[in-house]
Amino acid sequence: MSTVQVEVQGLSKNFFDPSRGEVRAVQEVNFECRGSEIFGLLGANGAGKTTTLRMISTVLQPTAGTARVLGHDVVSDPVEVRRNLGFYSASTALYPRLTARETLTLFARVNKYPAERTRSRVEEMIERFGLGDYAGARIEKLSSGMKQKVSIARTVVHDPPVLIFDEPTVGLDVLNALDLQKAIQELRADGKAILFSTHIMSEAERLCDRIAIIDKGRIRACDDLEGLRAATSQHYLEDIFVHYVTGEDTTA
Amino acid sequence: MNRRTVTALVVNDLRQLARNPRVLVFAVALPLVLWPLMWFLTSLTTERRQERIEGRTYTYAVADDTAGVAADDGARAWLERALGVVGDDGRADGTEATDGPAVRFERIEAPDDVAAALDEERLHVHVAWEAGSGEDLPAPRIVLSHRADLDASDSAEGFLRRALERTRTEVREQRLADAGFDSPPEDLLPLERIETASEEQTSGLLLGRLLTAIIVMMMLAGGSIVATDALAGEKERGTLETLLTTAASRVEIVTAKNLSILAVAFATSVLNIVNIVVWMQLDLIAPPAGLTLVIPVGAGLLLLLLYAPAAVLLSSSLLLVSGRSKTYKEAQLLFAPVMLVAMAVAAIPVLPGVELRSAIVLLPIANLGVAAREILTGQYDWPLLAAAWAVTGGAAALLARASLRTLSAEKLITASELDDADLAGGPALFPRRVGRWFAVLWALLLVWQLNIGGGIDSRLLITINLSVFGVAAWLMIVRYRLPIRETLSLRAPAPGAWLGVLIGAPAGLVLADGVVRLASLAMPIPEAWIEAMAENMGAGLPLWQMLIFFSLMPGIFEEIAFRGVLLHGLRNRLTTLQLVLVAGIAFGFFHVDLFRIPPTSLLGILLVVTVIRSGSIFPAMAWHALHNALALGSARVEQIALPEQPTWWHYVLALLAVLLALQLMKRKARAAFS
Repeated sequence: MSTVQVEVQGLSKNFFDPSRGEVRAVQEVNFECRGSEIFGLLGANGAGKTTTLRMISTVLQPTAGTARVLGHDVVSDPVEVRRNLGFYSASTALYPRLTARETLTLFARVNKYPAERTRSRVEEMIERFGLGDYAGARIEKLSSGMKQKVSIARTVVHDPPVLIFDEPTVGLDVLNALDLQKAIQELRADGKAILFSTHIMSEAERLCDRIAIIDKGRIRACDDLEGLRAATSQHYLEDIFVHYVTGEDTTA
Repeated sequence: MNRRTVTALVVNDLRQLARNPRVLVFAVALPLVLWPLMWFLTSLTTERRQERIEGRTYTYAVADDTAGVAADDGARAWLERALGVVGDDGRADGTEATDGPAVRFERIEAPDDVAAALDEERLHVHVAWEAGSGEDLPAPRIVLSHRADLDASDSAEGFLRRALERTRTEVREQRLADAGFDSPPEDLLPLERIETASEEQTSGLLLGRLLTAIIVMMMLAGGSIVATDALAGEKERGTLETLLTTAASRVEIVTAKNLSILAVAFATSVLNIVNIVVWMQLDLIAPPAGLTLVIPVGAGLLLLLLYAPAAVLLSSSLLLVSGRSKTYKEAQLLFAPVMLVAMAVAAIPVLPGVELRSAIVLLPIANLGVAAREILTGQYDWPLLAAAWAVTGGAAALLARASLRTLSAEKLITASELDDADLAGGPALFPRRVGRWFAVLWALLLVWQLNIGGGIDSRLLITINLSVFGVAAWLMIVRYRLPIRETLSLRAPAPGAWLGVLIGAPAGLVLADGVVRLASLAMPIPEAWIEAMAENMGAGLPLWQMLIFFSLMPGIFEEIAFRGVLLHGLRNRLTTLQLVLVAGIAFGFFHVDLFRIPPTSLLGILLVVTVIRSGSIFPAMAWHALHNALALGSARVEQIALPEQPTWWHYVLALLAVLLALQLMKRKARAAFS
């Protein structure tokens, strides 16, 4: 069995909002993710998925609890954490005036990928994601499908063992979404530990080895699909999700 | 810090800029053409206007009834002679033929409706005669009517008036000659000016006054091109979150952004300067009279070194504003006040009488501007140059740190604008705000100091203590709902603390004297300053009033502000050593007189230690009041600010006494202040 790459214990995050007061976005979340595994965080909008993933990627500071990536603590060793992970979300944009090749080179460098291997690694990514014909074109000139491929290549160019995909298919058409899912499966095959958040049941069902159902900042259940089915006597993930979030059985 | 990462980020920023043709055209190329073009067009327009004014014929008329007014012959002669000048040779301003093109005047019949004729420009200037009457107007006078809003009428009036003034001078001289004064009036007590400054010094003064303002303007204009995009643009585009999830540290990102801003600011400044020089070489624009752009190599290198922290300060300011803005447009909007403030400060060297050896050395950028002016006039005040460099460098470091914090702020990424301290407000928010409050207070004092000069008097102290410190401390306590007892350390000290005060205050005064002497090795104190201090402290008011104003009130109000509110605000953010140094030296800096900063910083440090160790503000109040009373007493008795030269063992004894005094403060301190 692969080793644990991401370890989350008692992770919590509180925000303060003048109109709503204290908002407990994430409460005592625990899970771990291993190599060659896609770990899904399934939840509605505002459930705490993105906040959890942002804490793991060191963009946000936890209010309580710990998270470790390859043993590096997100609070005390944030640079090492980020060096070992790639973060992809619908809100992480690309520089429009760089070419695809320049983008990959930039992110390899800022992620401290070895200088002597950067050029070959960039060409490898261009080859792997089928960007050859567009590698010299500026991002602003590319189609959304091509931009998405560059984004994935940008996420993995420094060969991180851990990848975070935060609702990556938001705004994509069906074909692009399927392409992305295929790429994620290939990355799992490469041995990456992948944290994948979504509110789309079919995606989670198709991709995730284990699924954590998150609601109001708390993880309500965490298991593989079979385990969740067995625990709830529900077949479809949608029904399982409703069971844990509302406490109701939709099959009745 | 990883150099490869920083380089990659800088190259990325510059590449983004280089590939944005709109920005390049509007922010870089267009100003290169437009500014000199505007300059050129202005001078061209002025020339053309002058030619037009001088090439035309102006009309004037003399009121019909002028001849009928009874007037003395001399005054009438004046008018007729002036009009004669106009009429005879057409040179109305009385200049010689070699002075320039002639101005032609034509006399016409006086119209019935003068105003209408002036409106329609049939008439450019109307001349009337007003007879003298009574005390208000003992002699007759000439009245010229014209339309100031019409170019021709305004010019005609000017020419005619000058002709009249010149004729009046001639008439006056003729009268003097007739009365037996046969030498020309200008031969009486002749004046001669001898310029002892070299040409370089005169030109250096002119350049030195303008240089900082020009450089700051160019740096800001150039730097803002990148700064808007640096954080605000990235935030708006969504690339900032991408960047923040990479292995680049926040320090590397901020360093790279600052370097990008500096690189572009420097490049555009050089481009603009070269551009202006080229235009001057082509004689398309002319430099101000007396200005030469030649700077000696040594002075040039020194200026480059001197301006380095100013450049970092400016780029950090722009980056900070960019980081605090949510959008590109908001950043552009917020740059305006930053530029205004920076330009106002950079223009201070233009003010006459501002020297580096004054409180101005404490004002970032302005101090470097004054330093640059002095360097260009050949004055090298090395200790003060170093101080100015350090002050601006320190401010630059603080701003760079602040811009670093904007990258750690969660509102960069999340929808939440606030954190727990913001929400809780009151005492929780105060530690974060205390610096701003005291920075504003300091700025107020500095402005005051620059306006009223270096002297202190009882009025100043009353106002500072009551209005500034007292009211500000009260406002902070109320605004942040600070618990008064805890904030002001209103606790009874250990009995030994009072003995400590009696030993510590006089010993501290001797130590302060030592600090003054030490500092004066680097910054010799002018005699005039010592005399002014002695005069202010030793005279004016009765002793009992002086004790109230100089001893009692500072002992109460300054302690409430500095050892009460400021100390309370800082104590949870700093280690004990940092707290002692920061709060102590801040107290020194509030005595914005340059020469008082070292001894008052020492006093501030001793008083902070006193409060920390005793857990009470009362011994510090007593120490402060006693210290000031003793200083006042020595000034009253000796009539000088500095006592006779003590020997080194006086200072050693004083140091030991101070340490003993601080030891006596102990006891309740730890428990009370923990």
